[in-house]
Amino acid sequence: MSTVAIVIAISSFLLGTLLALLTIPVLVWLERRIASLIQDRLGPNRTNVFGFRLGGVVQSFADVVKLLLKEEYYPSHIKMGKWLFMLAPVITFAAALLAFMAIPFADTLHINGEALRVQALPIDFGVFWYLAVGAIGVLGVIFGGWLSHNKYALLGASRAGSMVISYELPLGLSILAFIITYDTIDFNAMVQWQSGVFFGFLPAWGILVQPLASIILIVSLFAETNRNPFTVAEGESEIVAGYMTEHTAMKFAMYFMGEYVAMNTASAVIITVIFGGYQIPWVSTEMMLQNFSVFAGVLMITVPLIVALLIRWMRKNNTVRPTVTTDSGRNFETKVLTIALLAMTALIEVILLYLIFFAESTLANSITVMLFQIVVFVAKLMMFNIFFIVIRWTVPRFRYDQIQHLGWYYLLPLSLLNLFITALVVVGVSS
Amino acid sequence: MLEISIFSILALFMIGGSIAMISNKQTVFAAFGFLVAMIALAGLFAMLNSQFLAIAQILVSVGAVVVLSMLTILTVNAQSKSLPQEPNKTKWIILTSILVAPFTILLYKTLTTLPDHFSTMETINTKVLGKEMFSHWVLPFEILSILLLSAMVGAIVIARKSKKKEDNTTQTNSRERSRP
Repeated sequence: MSTVAIVIAISSFLLGTLLALLTIPVLVWLERRIASLIQDRLGPNRTNVFGFRLGGVVQSFADVVKLLLKEEYYPSHIKMGKWLFMLAPVITFAAALLAFMAIPFADTLHINGEALRVQALPIDFGVFWYLAVGAIGVLGVIFGGWLSHNKYALLGASRAGSMVISYELPLGLSILAFIITYDTIDFNAMVQWQSGVFFGFLPAWGILVQPLASIILIVSLFAETNRNPFTVAEGESEIVAGYMTEHTAMKFAMYFMGEYVAMNTASAVIITVIFGGYQIPWVSTEMMLQNFSVFAGVLMITVPLIVALLIRWMRKNNTVRPTVTTDSGRNFETKVLTIALLAMTALIEVILLYLIFFAESTLANSITVMLFQIVVFVAKLMMFNIFFIVIRWTVPRFRYDQIQHLGWYYLLPLSLLNLFITALVVVGVSS
Repeated sequence: MLEISIFSILALFMIGGSIAMISNKQTVFAAFGFLVAMIALAGLFAMLNSQFLAIAQILVSVGAVVVLSMLTILTVNAQSKSLPQEPNKTKWIILTSILVAPFTILLYKTLTTLPDHFSTMETINTKVLGKEMFSHWVLPFEILSILLLSAMVGAIVIARKSKKKEDNTTQTNSRERSRP
């Protein structure tokens, strides 16, 4: 292994871990702000560190401090298995975190004949990894619910377990349809397949090639991650807080964070399998590498435009009402952030100029493309996370029997039918 | 050396999990022991460079078997006092251990030669496995599929029959109960 290989391996592992962990506060903040947006209020926006509010993200860090300092409370009726009661949230969290590790963040780097995967875990059977490790997560819910020795927790746990069992089938069958279409179980190869063109002008994204399987995949992933409209396991209108009724402080926070990591992982799987992953439509990695100067030029135009829009939006919105006299450091924050953004843009421009006119090595070019793909991946990930959140705050919760009915009577036959048609079409095309 | 130490840790987890599974009276801890043993077994497969088998192990044993058994535990709610009394349990365990003692030679042979294969084992990736399965082992594969299908059909038939009976019994029971 060369030095570059080691650096890439370590940095992609760090990227995977940080992307999974650091999105939790951002997602909590997004959840609260989008909920407020939908309910016509503002949401958390005042917590600050030296005047820096960052739109309210700081609130999530304050929440973390609160949850860490809260009293650890154990229900006295839990006589045995306290260790498993404490371990259960960790199982859920760790499974969700591990499942995220198989997602590719950028295309495989080819450096001096070495193929380096930009993946936290460089494996070529990512789909199976996700299905296998993601299924462990529900065990934490079941253990926690059973060991709480509480009727509500028991009901929540059994609901979660039976829901996962009934939605694992449509999930697996819809992913099987994608495996047949793409002819691979490697997430990265799936993304590469989607960089082509479909019907001559459409991008060959999974949602256009396999619309039915895509919808089934999205619905079953909503159920797998316990997100609305499938939150019966913690339905607070019926069973208090479901499986986490007896979990307090950091144990509750582990379940909570596990849910967000699972949602993040589900979004990553959805964009990787059906929305072209880290690629922008119509443009494949080879195309960017071959026409690198054109690609860099387009970047040099678009990055300042986006930054200018962002700064304008921030200047307009990061203010207080005219009736309030003290601005509590908002102008200062705007000023500092504007300078930081401008400096960052200038740095990017200088690097791109250098790469276009002076650099000769292809290594720097491929690393630039890799970074661009990571940015595209994160942007798509966040968009899909926002989709998850908007669904949560607009669609009411299903009743439990409706969920089972939907899973067994509609999704399972539809996914079987879709699998049959896919196999027929693929055999017909290949013969 | 690293491989042997990882192997020993995994083996310890596996043995501990298995013992916890058969000796624990609380069904939920037995299920947890089974979970630990299965994950450790998957780790052993991964150490033999057959990563696909390791993932399949987790997918089948943990994702399906443990989740289903946990769901059964949740619905049945077996108390440790309602389990059958086994006063001679320790005696039986010791007796059977003595009975299977000759087989420990086989175990010893396997354990002593297994670490040699960790580095030399050919990587069994998905492609190799798929090609082998659908060329050399295609007949056993198909026979297994038919076996599984028949097992599924049989399970459905048994479930339907028992459901009808249960319905009848519950109806009669409720009638009997409603009588003063």
